Amino acid sequence: MIAVLGLVIGVVVGLFVQPEVPDAVVPYLPIAVVAALDAVFGGVRAMLDGIFDDKVFVVSFLSNVVVAALIVFLGDQLGVGSQLSTGVVVVLGIRIFSNAAAIRRHVFRA
Amino acid sequence: MSLLTAVMDHGLDEGYAEAAAARGDGRASRVPTTRRGLATLGLGLALVGVVLTIGAVNAHDAQPALAKERDALVHRVTDTAGAADRLQQQVQELRRKVESTQQQALQAAGGGGLADLAGAVGTGEVSGPGIRLVLEDAAGTGAGGNVDPRQADGFENSGRLRDRDLQLVVNGLWQAGAEAVSVNGQRLTALSAIRAAGEAVLVDNRPLVPPYTVLAVGDGPKLGPAFESGVAGHYLHLLQDSYGIKFSLSVQSKVTLPAAVGVTLRTAQPVPSAPATSPAAAPEVPAATGSAAGPSGTPGTGPSPSASSPGAHPSATKPSGSKTTSSNSPRATGSSPTATAGSTSAGTRSN
Repeated sequence: MIAVLGLVIGVVVGLFVQPEVPDAVVPYLPIAVVAALDAVFGGVRAMLDGIFDDKVFVVSFLSNVVVAALIVFLGDQLGVGSQLSTGVVVVLGIRIFSNAAAIRRHVFRA
Repeated sequence: MSLLTAVMDHGLDEGYAEAAAARGDGRASRVPTTRRGLATLGLGLALVGVVLTIGAVNAHDAQPALAKERDALVHRVTDTAGAADRLQQQVQELRRKVESTQQQALQAAGGGGLADLAGAVGTGEVSGPGIRLVLEDAAGTGAGGNVDPRQADGFENSGRLRDRDLQLVVNGLWQAGAEAVSVNGQRLTALSAIRAAGEAVLVDNRPLVPPYTVLAVGDGPKLGPAFESGVAGHYLHLLQDSYGIKFSLSVQSKVTLPAAVGVTLRTAQPVPSAPATSPAAAPEVPAATGSAAGPSGTPGTGPSPSASSPGAHPSATKPSGSKTTSSNSPRATGSSPTATAGSTSAGTRSN
């Protein structure tokens, strides 16, 4: 219950506050989105596996976002920012897919 | 490859397994049950929601760059078009203002207003009683286009009306008291020239096609006899008798003369004191406030009528170099500039 409430509050806050994203942060927003999705899928899979841990969920989400942003920032400084962000998206995408497959196995037994 | 397999195999964060092992119970709860655990989960999901929403809003706001640029261009086009429209309106407004100011100034000066002056000068249409004079080449002179160019010999054919004849007729009309004259629909002004090119008679460099219809506004019943009894009338009779050039004069109750085209005012300046020769002029006539009508200044709307008007005496200089600043109306002196401008005929004919 509280979980759903938290999600709803997050969406509402994002919609209504409409925080002005600083220009320096805009390039990292897609990466952050993908990292967030990865954390959500991982959390759902862990829940279905029966090993969910709230602390791990929050910390993994935050660290994913920060590390992904850092990698892209580093790539920007080295002149390979777009390639690195592509790499991050690919890796996280693969994780999202494998987690989604695990969730599917849990739900549909197939 | 090991990197790829690691990515593929370890989809789940290993922290979950480690945490579960640390807890030591094989059968962990699927969702946190403690209040603190629930709060942490809620916080995490709220963060996820915020990030996802911001991303979506941002992506929605950032439309493709091309569409943005196009929008900007469209905005610029509409803005500039609006500005141009506003300027156009301003121009029209100012033009109206100039016109009304001229009108006021001229009326204050005791003149008859802009319309009267435009009519007198030739830049405005006039209508009123007058006479209609039709001149026609003698029969058999091959009028119109069916002249054989091999045999045509300019004005050697004495049955043709010549530019000199037309000049004499027009000057005779001025002398007889005509207030405005037009030849074949071409209004004559102080700058008009009647001359010849080949065997065509030109008025203001436009060829005329016979028969020549000369319209004159004036006191019809007086104007007709005055013209016929003058030099020009006698001359026409002579032409008719000797060469068969036909002419017919009729008094009209109303003739309408078009405005002259292409009259452009270049410079004008008011004369500080009233000239003694012009009884109609008042001192300090601020005529011709605009220094120049544009190159395409329309006759009758620009300041040109007041510039060369008999009432207001500004010195107007025309590009052709011919001074028009005697500023007497043609009928006042009887000697119109038409005569001096158009006497360039190479033909010879002894009358």
